Amino acid sequence: MALDTMSDVSDEALLVLFANGDQAAARALNLRMTPRVFAQAMRMLGNRAEAEDVAQEAMMRLWKIASQWRQGEAKVTTWLYRVVANLCTDRLRRKPSLAIDAIPEPEDGQASAAEGLQDQARNSALYQALATLPERQRQAVILRHIEGLGNPEIAEIMDISTEAVESLTARGKRALAKALAGRRDELGYSDG
Amino acid sequence: MNWGTPMDKHSLDDAALDDLFATARAQAPQPSFDLMDRVLSDALSVQELAAADTAEPQVKSEPFWRAALAGLGGWPAMAGLATACVGGVWIGINPPDLVSESATVFFALETDSYLVDAMPGFSAEFDLVEG
Repeated sequence: MALDTMSDVSDEALLVLFANGDQAAARALNLRMTPRVFAQAMRMLGNRAEAEDVAQEAMMRLWKIASQWRQGEAKVTTWLYRVVANLCTDRLRRKPSLAIDAIPEPEDGQASAAEGLQDQARNSALYQALATLPERQRQAVILRHIEGLGNPEIAEIMDISTEAVESLTARGKRALAKALAGRRDELGYSDG
Repeated sequence: MNWGTPMDKHSLDDAALDDLFATARAQAPQPSFDLMDRVLSDALSVQELAAADTAEPQVKSEPFWRAALAGLGGWPAMAGLATACVGGVWIGINPPDLVSESATVFFALETDSYLVDAMPGFSAEFDLVEG
């Protein structure tokens, strides 16, 4: 995949360049944002085709809003996380039983085959357990513990208070821990 | 690492859960090349549309005579106005008898002159003083 040749330019500045017709800015934003947007959608929906649709739709909204983007009001990434979260929520409410068909695969050369298989099994178990959580809990846990965002940013994305985020993530983690308890040995977490 | 005590069989402990999260974070699902292409294609299309919008020629301002014509009611009204104008000129040059007689009556061309002395006594007094 091509490298982001404008890595020293901020997301907001890239968006301004994009609105001015700069094609290099379009490429840089695509490389920077699409993988992130797709990963969030994939983690929420667990379905590659649905996640690709959501990612393309979210990016299309970014392209269309670029010319009206108001500097300093929001981070581009926060805005995109919010758009993806809303699009995923819409899809989950329309089709609550989306099939989990694609679990992230281990990257080549990063781990031995055995470790790779174990990581794959752990990811598979985690995403299956995540799929059993209520949609808002799932959203909060993914944003906090997998995307690695802070509570204030998650509060902005989900349009709730930081206390509500803390409550959702705590309940979500407890539910995940319970859902995965029976698979402790299988996942290699049984050593004392 | 201690992945949980035997007393805690009904849930996974925090360390194990954090390890699962770390694994998931390290192995983000990757978009297909096809998706990357589609998104880039959308971006370039939006840019092209925006460029086409700004490149469209500006609408020329209307010339004065066209605005005046529109104000009078357009070409049909102009035709009526021109007919009335020509008719007026023709009547001026070659008035029909009826028009002449009416004009004579209306403007009272045969004028009568009246002398009205507004101060009949003034002249007498003036004469006396001059005496």
